[in-house]
Amino acid sequence: MASEIKSVAVIGAGVMGAAIAAHVANAGIKVKLLDIVKPGSADRNAIARGAIERFKKIEPAPLMSPKAARLITPGNTEDDFAGLAECDWIVEAVIERLDIKQALYKRIAEVRKPGSVVSSNTSTIPLSELMSDMPDTLKPDFVITHFFNPPRYMRLLELVTGPDTRGDTIDKITKFCDVTLGKSVISCRDTPGFIANRIGTYWIQSAMVLALDMGLEVEEADAIMGKPMGFPSTGVFGLMDLVGIDLGPHVNASLARLLPKSDPFHAINRDVSMIEKLIAEGYTGKKGKGGFYRSSGRGADKVKETLSLKAAAQGRLEWRATVRPKIDEVKDAKKDLKKLVGAKSKPGQYAWGVLGRVLAYAASLIPEIADDIASVDEAMRLGYTWKYGPFELIDKLGADWVSEKLAALSIPVPPILTRLGKGTFYKTEGSALLQFCSDGTYRPVKRPDGVLLLEDVKRGAKPVLTNKSASVWDIGDGVLCFEFHSIMNSLDGDILALLEKTIALVQKSYKALVIHSEDLRAGPGRENFSVGANLGLAVFAANLRMWGKIEGSVKEGQKAYQALRYAPFPVVGAPAGRALGGGCEILLHCSAVQAYAETYMGLVECGVGLVPGWGGCATMLARWQTAKDAPKGPMPAVAKVFEMVSTAKFSTSAAEAKDLKFLKPEDGITMNRYRVLADAKSRALALVDGYAKPEPAMLQLPGASGRVGLGMAVEEFRKKGVATPHDVTVASHLARVLTGGDVDIVDPVSETDVMALEREAFMALFRTRESQARIKHILDTGRPLRN
Amino acid sequence: MTNVVIAGYARSPFALAKKGGLTRVRPDEMAAEVVRALITRTGVKAEDIEDIIVGCAFPEAEQGLNVARLIGLLADLPITVAGATVNRFCGSSMYAIHMAAGAIQMNAGEAFIAVGVESMTRVPMGGYNPMPSPALHAKNPAAYMGMGDTAENVAQRWQITRDAQEEFALASHVKASAAQKAGKLTDEIVPITLNKANVSQDECIRHDASREGLAGLKPAFDANGTVTAGTSSPLTDGASAVLVCSEDYAMKHGLPVTARIKSIAVAGCAPDIMGIGPVAASRKALARAGLTSRDINVVELNEAFASQALACIRDLELDPATVNLDGGAIALGHPLGATGARITGKAASVLKREGGKYALATQCIGGGQGIATVLEAV
Repeated sequence: MASEIKSVAVIGAGVMGAAIAAHVANAGIKVKLLDIVKPGSADRNAIARGAIERFKKIEPAPLMSPKAARLITPGNTEDDFAGLAECDWIVEAVIERLDIKQALYKRIAEVRKPGSVVSSNTSTIPLSELMSDMPDTLKPDFVITHFFNPPRYMRLLELVTGPDTRGDTIDKITKFCDVTLGKSVISCRDTPGFIANRIGTYWIQSAMVLALDMGLEVEEADAIMGKPMGFPSTGVFGLMDLVGIDLGPHVNASLARLLPKSDPFHAINRDVSMIEKLIAEGYTGKKGKGGFYRSSGRGADKVKETLSLKAAAQGRLEWRATVRPKIDEVKDAKKDLKKLVGAKSKPGQYAWGVLGRVLAYAASLIPEIADDIASVDEAMRLGYTWKYGPFELIDKLGADWVSEKLAALSIPVPPILTRLGKGTFYKTEGSALLQFCSDGTYRPVKRPDGVLLLEDVKRGAKPVLTNKSASVWDIGDGVLCFEFHSIMNSLDGDILALLEKTIALVQKSYKALVIHSEDLRAGPGRENFSVGANLGLAVFAANLRMWGKIEGSVKEGQKAYQALRYAPFPVVGAPAGRALGGGCEILLHCSAVQAYAETYMGLVECGVGLVPGWGGCATMLARWQTAKDAPKGPMPAVAKVFEMVSTAKFSTSAAEAKDLKFLKPEDGITMNRYRVLADAKSRALALVDGYAKPEPAMLQLPGASGRVGLGMAVEEFRKKGVATPHDVTVASHLARVLTGGDVDIVDPVSETDVMALEREAFMALFRTRESQARIKHILDTGRPLRN
Repeated sequence: MTNVVIAGYARSPFALAKKGGLTRVRPDEMAAEVVRALITRTGVKAEDIEDIIVGCAFPEAEQGLNVARLIGLLADLPITVAGATVNRFCGSSMYAIHMAAGAIQMNAGEAFIAVGVESMTRVPMGGYNPMPSPALHAKNPAAYMGMGDTAENVAQRWQITRDAQEEFALASHVKASAAQKAGKLTDEIVPITLNKANVSQDECIRHDASREGLAGLKPAFDANGTVTAGTSSPLTDGASAVLVCSEDYAMKHGLPVTARIKSIAVAGCAPDIMGIGPVAASRKALARAGLTSRDINVVELNEAFASQALACIRDLELDPATVNLDGGAIALGHPLGATGARITGKAASVLKREGGKYALATQCIGGGQGIATVLEAV
């Protein structure tokens, strides 16, 4: 049994090293962050300390909560090296220079404690080279742990082990990176670029070179090589801007050095003068002055500009106003990708020219880079945010179609594709997902121990209950899982109705209920647990002036959520991603929540000119009023909830959701997305024995006196120019709800009383033209209207 | 009539609320440290102290439960020393001095400690449970008006330009910076080392303050206004204390007397221009002393905002060269309840240091009031 990793050190406080340390701290683990002593600096830990200080400014934030920074101890490699003896895992993330790394490993070998894991975060140096001059004592405990940038958000971790690596070391680091840090650990062979960068670099380079050769412009290339194929919507040029244009030449050079001459990479790897010029002039992408895209002008005069590839081909760097290209094949691809990649037009030729090459390249690398295709697909999904891995894409197009088209391009058809013939890389047998292997057989796609995915539950199974917006699945051991599958998992009458049926069913025949939605292909930060009530339906009703219907649905929601809260069995919410408005409120009514670490919770109704209407106000008041860390009296809870709700504040992580009390102190956080459902199920089962439904909360609210105080604060914001006139209206209705309406301070207020006020305020606001304009605007544009 | 004198003054360093070095220090404990140091420094016999009177603008939570009595116990004063807490918002601790002076003249004690304290980190401005009267708010909303709005009103009605406010604010920092560097603030300060804090000098002063920096700030209270964070006093943590005695007692015990209290006054004004409060209060106090502003050599005028300070200087016809010689609250900070004792103690010390005859300490008070103390060299 592998001992656990309880303390970590990261050496190298550059972009990656510091962000890895931040993520270790996100997991609640103590971490030392060491770098060299900066010459001439009075503070010998200045580099590491500076890196921690910069976390506050980096977007997206490396830390899940500012509190996590306290777990990171800055140090330097001179004074603090001996302290590495306390660490169970030492990560090297210094500059990509073999001599420096090797010298460091010798020093580490002298001080580290026996059995501690030592790893490198290298992306360009093979394990064999790192280990070539390594003390023998270190070799069994040394691996490559390759994180992707930014480490908090990118879920891939490539693990490279050598022939000498101990099994115990592999188990220990795999378990830690999987369960504690939440990464999908993909075992890679010691080949250049491992899996994701090997294919990803080939993809980026092909897309750039072909765009230049075919005379496409940046916007055209990005429109084709992005969303239609399930690649990041930035497209390839936008992606280069995001990761840094200066990174490309380094990665290309290292692959060119290491790959055999026969590798197709060499054919598309050439120096592009445009890239050299961009870097020389500081256009390294978003971190620099801009890149293929840049902004010029300020404020209202701000315009987005794009680099002209035509001018670049003639040796000039010129930016012009960005255009939105209209490409019919891109539109058609929404229905069928073949309409794009099979088209004979220029966009079609470009699309297939790149995609065909990339798919063939990926297929040709099995089993050189990994044992199985599922690992490659997973690496591309999680390391490059592809919605589908290369083998899934081949299945979409049809393997025989791909083979035929490759031959037409004079690209050799990889043996695995030939062997597959007309088959598919993945197939389902009963509830099992099978993958095609290079030996011609199908074997099950294995999940790490303890992982429970709804997609696995659903395969070959029928829902216990279902309608068009939600389904209920049996996840075993007497636990049901309620799943939303409406548009963005928005909540509607169907969901509320199914919830009611589900409660009755669990009460009759099951032990507990978990509420969970799953969209594993959404990409970092883009998953929706639920975005809240379906406002489109409400606007429709408002247009017909069906006020009674709207009020009825508010009542229905309150009733359904109350039924959940006071159900005689445990209900565990298991959110991942956005849980907003009604989606947040349903979680507020659960017995417990087991949240994915990347959960974004908030009562954001004021943003659309409404107030929370499904018990959110009442629950948050009760939480803040009973909180041990909040000041006593009738106002602090009211003021705090008012501040959060009126500004539509949402948490940027589950950890922050605890600070804001959207989560209770005893609610759980799961770091690995794949383990959320399993953890929630365990949580639900643990609550079953002796489960007692909660007692209704009674509140002490300040009434009109408190409202005057809140009104004065809003008036100050209006004067400052921060609050709009309709913000003031919305805030005044919210204030009435949160202060308890016409109560006197001596009257106890029930949550039912507050819910009646919620309904009243919701309806009053819904009837205003301004709130309706806000709702329409967000439905049309996805952005809030400030009116 | 019994003469009353200032026989000692001490204070904590002032630090920015929520960001500075005193955020983790309880205000009651901080004030007790200052009281303890004041007793040691002056050599007054603790058992002779009649009462400890503590001014605090938001006397609740860690500043609540009659904090004066608790500060006395924390400072290990003899059990016989009584304690009372007084609230006159920003004028609280100057009023504590006035109460002591009144009691001494009533022959109700010979030695008092007047204290001021405010942790604006740990007890928010407005308190934890602000519950205004809806009836009063309907009748006279200015009663609850935010201080920033009153500063804008004064700026507008007295035509104090943003430029003038910034010039005044910069001068405050320049004077405070020079005073700190010259050690002119050292004697009054009691270093605070409670709960891992280690603060031995004022932290709010911006030594690099500049007109350009001030000009770049956005209006803090009104999008179309002229008052910025740079021309307002910052939210501050701090405590101050003054030893108030009968002159006879001080002389008999050889206490370090700095000034005699010549006259005192309070006066109300319209709440929406509360910053002008010092004008009426100072005029009353000066008249009671038989003086005019031309007789005053040293002025400590609290700088709640540059706009109101400038309006008061103009209306009172004060010589700007006599005002806030070591900087004012814009640079030093304004821990509400603690400011009154600071500026009165400071006025007495500066009067002695500069060798003048009369000093005036005065400040504005939220809700529409002013308070003033005229001091006379001994």
